[in-house]
Amino acid sequence: MNGFSPSTHLVLTIAAPLIGAGIAWVLGSRGVAAVRQSAAVTTLVTLGLAGWLVLRYLAEPGTAAGLPYALSEVPWLTEGIFDVRFSLGLDGLSLWMFALAALLSVTAVFVSWDAITDRPVGFYVLLLVLEAAMLGVFAARDVILFYVFFEFTLVPLFFLIGIWGHEERRRAAVKFFLYTLAGSVLTFLGLLAIVLWHASHANVVTFDIEALVDGTTIHPLPMTAAGGWLQMVVFLALLAGFAVKVPIVPLHTWLPLAHVEAPTGGSVDLAGVLLKLGIYGFLRFSMPMLPEATAVAAPWLFGLGVAGIIYGALVALVQTDLKRLVAYSSVSHMGYIVMGLFALTPVATEGVNLQLVNHGLSSAGLFALVGMIYERFHTRNIASLGGIASRAPWLAVFFMLFTFSSIGLPGLNGFVGEFMILLGAFQRAWSGVSPAWQFAYLVMALLAVAGVVLGAWYMLWAVERVLFGTSREPPRGGQDSGQDAADHGHAAATADRCDLRWHEVVALAPLAVFVLWIGLAPGTFLRPAAVAVQRATAAPAAAFTARMQADSTGTAVQASTP
Amino acid sequence: MNFSDPSTLLVLVPLVPLAAAVLTVALGRVLGRRSWLPAVAGIGAAFVCAVMLLSGMAREVTGVGHDQPARPVEFVTTLWEWAGVDAAGMSGAAPQAFSIPVSLRLDPLTATLLVIITGVGLLVAIYSIGYMHGDPGEPRFFALVSAFVFSMSMLVAASNFLLVYVFWEAVGACSYLLIGFWFSKSAAAQAAKKAFLVNRVGDFGLAVATFLLWMTYGTLNFHDSVAADGTLVPGILGATRLADASAYAGGAVGTAICLLFLLAACGKSAQLPLHVWLPDAMEGPTPASSLIHAATMVTAGIYLVARTAPLFVACPGALTLVSIVGATTALVAALIGTVQNDLKRVLAYSTISQLGYMFASLGTGTLLGFTAAIFHLVTHAFFKALLFMGAGSVMHAMGGVIDMRRFGGLRRIMPVTAATFLAGALALAGVAPFAGFFSKDEILAALHSRGWADAHADHHEGLPADGHAAAAAVFRLVSSPTDAARISAGPRASTLDALDTPATFRLLFWMSLVTAALTAFYTFRAVFMTFTGPTRVPEEAGHHAHESPPSMTVPLAILAVLSAVSGWWLFSTHSLATFLAATPSFTAPAVAASATPAVFHWDLAIQGTLAAALGIVVAALGHLGRRSDGPQPERFLGPLATLFANRMYFDQVYAALIVKPLQVIALIAAFVDRHLVDGLVDLVARVPLGLGGVVRHLQSGIVQRYALAGVIGALLIVLAVVARAMG
Repeated sequence: MNGFSPSTHLVLTIAAPLIGAGIAWVLGSRGVAAVRQSAAVTTLVTLGLAGWLVLRYLAEPGTAAGLPYALSEVPWLTEGIFDVRFSLGLDGLSLWMFALAALLSVTAVFVSWDAITDRPVGFYVLLLVLEAAMLGVFAARDVILFYVFFEFTLVPLFFLIGIWGHEERRRAAVKFFLYTLAGSVLTFLGLLAIVLWHASHANVVTFDIEALVDGTTIHPLPMTAAGGWLQMVVFLALLAGFAVKVPIVPLHTWLPLAHVEAPTGGSVDLAGVLLKLGIYGFLRFSMPMLPEATAVAAPWLFGLGVAGIIYGALVALVQTDLKRLVAYSSVSHMGYIVMGLFALTPVATEGVNLQLVNHGLSSAGLFALVGMIYERFHTRNIASLGGIASRAPWLAVFFMLFTFSSIGLPGLNGFVGEFMILLGAFQRAWSGVSPAWQFAYLVMALLAVAGVVLGAWYMLWAVERVLFGTSREPPRGGQDSGQDAADHGHAAATADRCDLRWHEVVALAPLAVFVLWIGLAPGTFLRPAAVAVQRATAAPAAAFTARMQADSTGTAVQASTP
Repeated sequence: MNFSDPSTLLVLVPLVPLAAAVLTVALGRVLGRRSWLPAVAGIGAAFVCAVMLLSGMAREVTGVGHDQPARPVEFVTTLWEWAGVDAAGMSGAAPQAFSIPVSLRLDPLTATLLVIITGVGLLVAIYSIGYMHGDPGEPRFFALVSAFVFSMSMLVAASNFLLVYVFWEAVGACSYLLIGFWFSKSAAAQAAKKAFLVNRVGDFGLAVATFLLWMTYGTLNFHDSVAADGTLVPGILGATRLADASAYAGGAVGTAICLLFLLAACGKSAQLPLHVWLPDAMEGPTPASSLIHAATMVTAGIYLVARTAPLFVACPGALTLVSIVGATTALVAALIGTVQNDLKRVLAYSTISQLGYMFASLGTGTLLGFTAAIFHLVTHAFFKALLFMGAGSVMHAMGGVIDMRRFGGLRRIMPVTAATFLAGALALAGVAPFAGFFSKDEILAALHSRGWADAHADHHEGLPADGHAAAAAVFRLVSSPTDAARISAGPRASTLDALDTPATFRLLFWMSLVTAALTAFYTFRAVFMTFTGPTRVPEEAGHHAHESPPSMTVPLAILAVLSAVSGWWLFSTHSLATFLAATPSFTAPAVAASATPAVFHWDLAIQGTLAAALGIVVAALGHLGRRSDGPQPERFLGPLATLFANRMYFDQVYAALIVKPLQVIALIAAFVDRHLVDGLVDLVARVPLGLGGVVRHLQSGIVQRYALAGVIGALLIVLAVVARAMG
């Protein structure tokens, strides 16, 4: 029954969490159970709608060739030369992130089930508003609309951290908000500059992203001294916001703080979806609109990516707080993604697009599990935890699964993206740069591969200390011992078992399914995005190659003259 | 059986154990005490399929006379496209399509290894019915063993380097989970982590080697395949490239690839300097040690080097280094093994040492060397699995005690275990006519032929005995369709090639002979300490120390028979060597040219036997009939005994040189992160606060005015920038 058009379907999917938020608000007087149930139903319905939309997207023949899907356009401000539209749609770049946002929202609600008892109405309403914003930002096809959704992801999370966070929640929330806002204001200025530049050539002030991409292809922003290096200036402005969001080292220090203080549900959305907005921004705006500037910046950002891999892993290695460790592992893993993005080879960039989803799944799963461990033992201190595997075997199974996914074990999703990124980066270093750059590139690519060893080191160290060995602290917090699926354990039936409860299984199982699915059949997920990713990165890749060729002929001339 | 299409059987071999693993997990509660059922049935079915594949393969191969060059036999079936990226959008000088099909292959090497993996796997599964009985983690154990058999079968059947990497890590994960099986013991948890991390260092090598292969050859497939546009893509080990004597990269790139492969093999097969994880891995259940850390997984490195033989023979320096690493590891591990008192650790060092033999053999680069390594792999799988299971049987009876000083004279209590263990020991020590004698003899012959090429040339009357000559002929230039020519510009010899001299191999031969004596010594030291002397039993065993149940002793007996006769049978018929010679990798001209007729080397056999006899006699003098808890005869070695007992301080050196420095760097990084990077951010954040004091009088409290100011400011900046750009 395709009774309603894809466009309506998309709008409905984005609106569903907002409607649900209203319902939760109304039900607020009926107590926490009613509120969380309504929130759960809302996220599940939204996930159903989003999943169905993805299936419809995949069934549509045109989408594989890169055509956008489920377009809807409502004129908003079209007087005179202005052309601002409320314009939504999905394409290969946004499809999987859109679906991931819907999936992780379910997890975010179910991990908060017992954890949030204080002011639940506000919490769930904010969580649902956040979901709508996350869905909207990936579907937006208009600069203004994108920016509205982009900022709107910030506000709910600010309150989620500031109100329902841990001890230092105020400081964390303010730092997170100001840091990200400062960056994104610059991004907005940069986007406005692109719009105005386009307007000065096309005589229409359009904010339509596709039109801007076409426009900047015909009239690229100047990359010369005469033109004021405008393209580079705009690139740096965009970079400011996106680099904070990713985060690219050294602009990452808001992240561990925000994660450690955030409630579990907030961490899940933050790590799983919001960090990817920075990379999405590069793919959506910087790369197609500012290719020459991207090509100039690529080696430096490639290097910062590698620095992030090693630096994040090293700092993770000496963390004493389990959640901080996972947060720094995110810094390290986002380093791979940044490196792969600016390697500008098809294998690497397609790997990046997949790795956005992969990291979303594994880091969200790990943050959810850390939250579950905290609920049981009231500590995240690695030194005081231990022996969880014998008391909560299913919790341990999921923890192992997401750990393996995170350290890139083949057969699971993390491997595919990581391997493609490393292969693509190596390809760039081996045969895609001028001789002057080659040594530096090779060293960086090899360091990135070596980072895989470090990544396994800190994660397995944490697993050994937290899951294995003998328990160091009895469980506290009055939950009943293992029920439901949790009760599978065959390990010594100790009295103090505290395995997963049903809502925790609901939160984790869907992520586990995709961890395996993407690992075994990554082609299913690579194919729909391939054309869009290659289109977005083709221009900067070509510009980069041109620069490198000019560079090598330049050095060749220099070498032959004397 | 119609052998023209063995794809069903080939898929079943890994698939059935995988299904068994899933079933065991899914039906954990239903199966109860019978959780072994899916594993035994599944691995048993896989074994039957593997035997059918082997016999079919054998019929394919025969029909070629012994004196004719072997004809490559392979069969490839592609299941699905795992991941792919079109070449269309690729920029750069050499666009390469990234296409990874899930392809399984069958050739003599794969068929042989599949039978070993599923056969030993089946015996281990049956043995574990008794051994793991009553353990609360029983279903987890059998699920992991089935998963391991699946991963290992896929590893040897994969026809693509990326798939090899996938299952290379997958068997490592199974190993990690089995070493840490009793995870509440912190030693087990630490050993598991150590095994994974040391292997990750090796995996680094395999990953980079894979990248280099893709850049150099433009594909990762072993076999020739057809691209989407109908052109033939020659696989790295496909018929097209094998027929061309100069198709393999030599020089710097080729050597780099081979050295990275060697690094990977050193990790997985526990060779110096990455051997440190294997002795600790003995924390896992003994049947797992037997299957994974003795018979199968640790031989993955041997498989990798044998499979990539054509790549290695193009790089004589790297190849020689394989031999050097192998022979050195064999000697060092044997020395450490002479003073260990933990029965399982003796066997673990023995495994490292025997794997070293296989590497030494591979490094000769001759057909004899490659087939001898696989021959030793096969016999070693039998006798080492047997010895481990025997040790497990002892441990089972002794209530978990495995320190040889705490028991003795067990032959009276456990006669079957004692008799079968002795058979395994004779095979390991290389006493004729047990299996190890023949396979070790072939390895010594391979080394000897490289060290004293002239003598062998006379012996074989003009046959091209020296593989090196042929190998050197191949070592010219890459003719790859892709980038290789640009990168490895010219046939630059690697400086490593200087290692490739007869003198090197003479030294390695003597080292191997000394190792043979040491092997016999530590093996029989363990036999005498455990089974002879006055009968003593530790108190942990209680008063009812007894022989193990039939589910454990029957696999022991089967392996004992195999350890006794397989060597003689495989050698005398020369069937294995002839069969393996049809493996595509071994039909590369440089390898095939080094073929020598099967000869029994009386001189080497006598030397080997004398070495073994010497070891056994010394062990008997020191330990036969004595109490094992007395002062050890080895103490006359003085400081050397301390050195060996402390495993030559490898762990301590690594801790001091790698682990500690990295931890210090990490602490510094964390400090910098907290105080410098974050401190700077906080400092920047304070600037507006300070400015706020100055401009406080602008503060009116009217939000609209702020917003207006903000918008005007933003527009001014943008207009200024754009105006400058256009002006």
